[in-house]
Amino acid sequence: MKNRIYFPFAAVVMVASSIAAFVAPVQAQERPAMLAPLGDPPNPADNPTTPEKVELGELLFFDGRLSGNGAMPCSACHLPDAGWDFPEKISLGYPGTTHWRNSQTIVNSAYYGKLFWAGSSKSLEGQARSAARGGVAGNGEDDMMEARLAFVPEYRKRFKSVFGDTWPNIRHAYMAIAAFERTLVQTDTPFDTYMRGDDKALDASQKRGLDLFTGKAGCAQCHSGAMLSNEKYYNLGVPPYDGWETDALAQITFRFELYAKGVTQDKYKKYKDDPGYYFRTKQVADLGKFRVPSLRYTKYTAPYMHNGMLASLADVVDFYNAGGGENEFSATKTKLIKPLGLNDKEKADLVAFIESLSGDRMVMEQPDLPPSEPLPASSN
Amino acid sequence: MARVPIGQNLFKSRGALLAPIMVALMGTMSVPANADDFGPVKSMEVNRDLADLGKRLFYDERLSGDTSLACATCHQPDKAFTDGKALSDAYTGSSHFRNTPTLANVGQRAAWFHDGRLGTNLNDVTRESITETYFMNMDMRIMQERLKQDPVYVEMFEKAGKGTPSNGGARSAIQEFLKSITSSGAPFDTGDLSASAKAGFELFKGKASCAECHTGPRFTDDQPHNTGVPENPDIWSEPDRHVTFVTYAKFMGVENYMNVRRDLGAYVRDHRQESAGKFMTPTLRELTYTAPYMHNGTMASLADVVEFYNKGGGNSANKDKRLHPLNLTDEEKSNLVDFLTSLSGNSFDVPSYNPGEIDTDYPVIVDWRQQKN
Repeated sequence: MKNRIYFPFAAVVMVASSIAAFVAPVQAQERPAMLAPLGDPPNPADNPTTPEKVELGELLFFDGRLSGNGAMPCSACHLPDAGWDFPEKISLGYPGTTHWRNSQTIVNSAYYGKLFWAGSSKSLEGQARSAARGGVAGNGEDDMMEARLAFVPEYRKRFKSVFGDTWPNIRHAYMAIAAFERTLVQTDTPFDTYMRGDDKALDASQKRGLDLFTGKAGCAQCHSGAMLSNEKYYNLGVPPYDGWETDALAQITFRFELYAKGVTQDKYKKYKDDPGYYFRTKQVADLGKFRVPSLRYTKYTAPYMHNGMLASLADVVDFYNAGGGENEFSATKTKLIKPLGLNDKEKADLVAFIESLSGDRMVMEQPDLPPSEPLPASSN
Repeated sequence: MARVPIGQNLFKSRGALLAPIMVALMGTMSVPANADDFGPVKSMEVNRDLADLGKRLFYDERLSGDTSLACATCHQPDKAFTDGKALSDAYTGSSHFRNTPTLANVGQRAAWFHDGRLGTNLNDVTRESITETYFMNMDMRIMQERLKQDPVYVEMFEKAGKGTPSNGGARSAIQEFLKSITSSGAPFDTGDLSASAKAGFELFKGKASCAECHTGPRFTDDQPHNTGVPENPDIWSEPDRHVTFVTYAKFMGVENYMNVRRDLGAYVRDHRQESAGKFMTPTLRELTYTAPYMHNGTMASLADVVEFYNKGGGNSANKDKRLHPLNLTDEEKSNLVDFLTSLSGNSFDVPSYNPGEIDTDYPVIVDWRQQKN
């Protein structure tokens, strides 16, 4: 199954190169400088990717032992069949709770320098730990999760081999998960092939969409680079999550987040929308701002925005065409967006281009998880 | 001296707060020089509104992380707030390595949990029980917001003088409810004792030496002792229980915790080798409701417990030196069991301790935007 993920990339690049070599001189098309094809994923020096580590991380990604109740693995909210995220506005919450933000895809998360919608983790390792422990996510506790791993002979063997652990170390579990996630990349989309020189990789509509994206529609002001994200923070005026008006559990979680992430009593009482990046800087200028998401793999990750309030890519284009929206943090809304005056054909072209940022759906079956067994009495 | 008149012990409180009252009354009351330390359990002073709030919280499953268990899930009123299991169930996905202790007269303990690891107050006991990952695994910040979402709580907190629902208010309310749990109506207290039970009481104080540790109205010295209770092998053969033990041992700073195959008990309090295997003397109140017995539930009946002590306890290098074979006759053993049985009184499964079904649905705040959070 994993071969489907890795192999087509190399194959397509080779085909693309050979086509380019023979056909390109006829009519070379320019490639926009602010965008780029996606290269190999990072291989951090403090957690180098190895096949053994990736295999261990894959098991752990699907293993509910890394949660409070033993039943909320990473894959509970990052479903391989649903774009490696959760197909609702708001992510699945820990039992008895609801979440409060849209689940983001794991695909290509390897390239982000900032994880979570407000960029609160700097690495996939940190993201995995925060998600496993968060009260409305995994609600796990490190000592307990680590103890569970120790009772799995298969994990003892693998942690020993990969990390040299006598007993599995929970930090190493997060490192293995991150290593696994760094293999969930897609670098062979039509867009990438086009950017590497194959003029035929995009159709006419997609090419027009690309021109709009980098020109009239202004998308590339923020959606730039190989990830189509500058990883900065903006308030677009996305309307607040509508579930806060109708769902008691969502109301509870919203207040919990205000409380847990630390705002003043006055702001705790007042806010009715997600303050986003403000939680990290505590600067009012950052209210309602969220990190620009990558547009890769978005064909499979509906609904969109930090709170899932836009159902389709067409809705997203309409939203920007109208110059964004309104929320209670209007003072911080970015000046970079304004009504675009796109006609229906242009909107369709933009959607067509955005879809070229996704290749085939990446799927993976849940691996068989190794069983726990009693620990033999120690020999010492 | 099987019957203990209430009047003799009424003011012999063990509570420091009542000491000045006791001293003041000593002048007017006649206290026999050789008065026994045994007698009815005095009730604690309780704020009724606050205790009522605590009672509802005690039975509310929304106080656990996944809303699947309440305090009362393991502390069941018809079993004197135990669960009838040798080893408790613990939080979803876990199993515990200890027997659920009774909450009868729990406010009067000097230290809590079988190992006595909390010696401060019921506020800390409540916090520990709600937040600990293998108990209720609750992030109390979420708990507070759940409580605020329930208009019944908003009203009850206000009435109890605690303002807006808060974690601190919830803990003090549960604490108040716990303080209200008082034994009453035991034949030993009412004087309705059989001849066998009376004989048992004499053995208890005399030949069987039980009163060496089981003293006072609650029949405990509130100290840890090692009686050599055998290990419960299920702790080490069931990974879910052993995992919980490891989690606990790690948190308590036990060295080499992966290789420990023994419940170290009060060792976690002071990390002294001589404390290993000591457990808090349990109360003997309400025993007929609380089988099986001992910190790990390894004894099914009171007869088993008496037999255990008749043999001088179990095997342990650190065993309390006062334990020795008792050479009790069958009749004496039976007398002792009858006496122990006479220390159980009225059921706690009554409205003052059990609110019955509570509504745990949350209403939506309909004009959410207009309301302050």
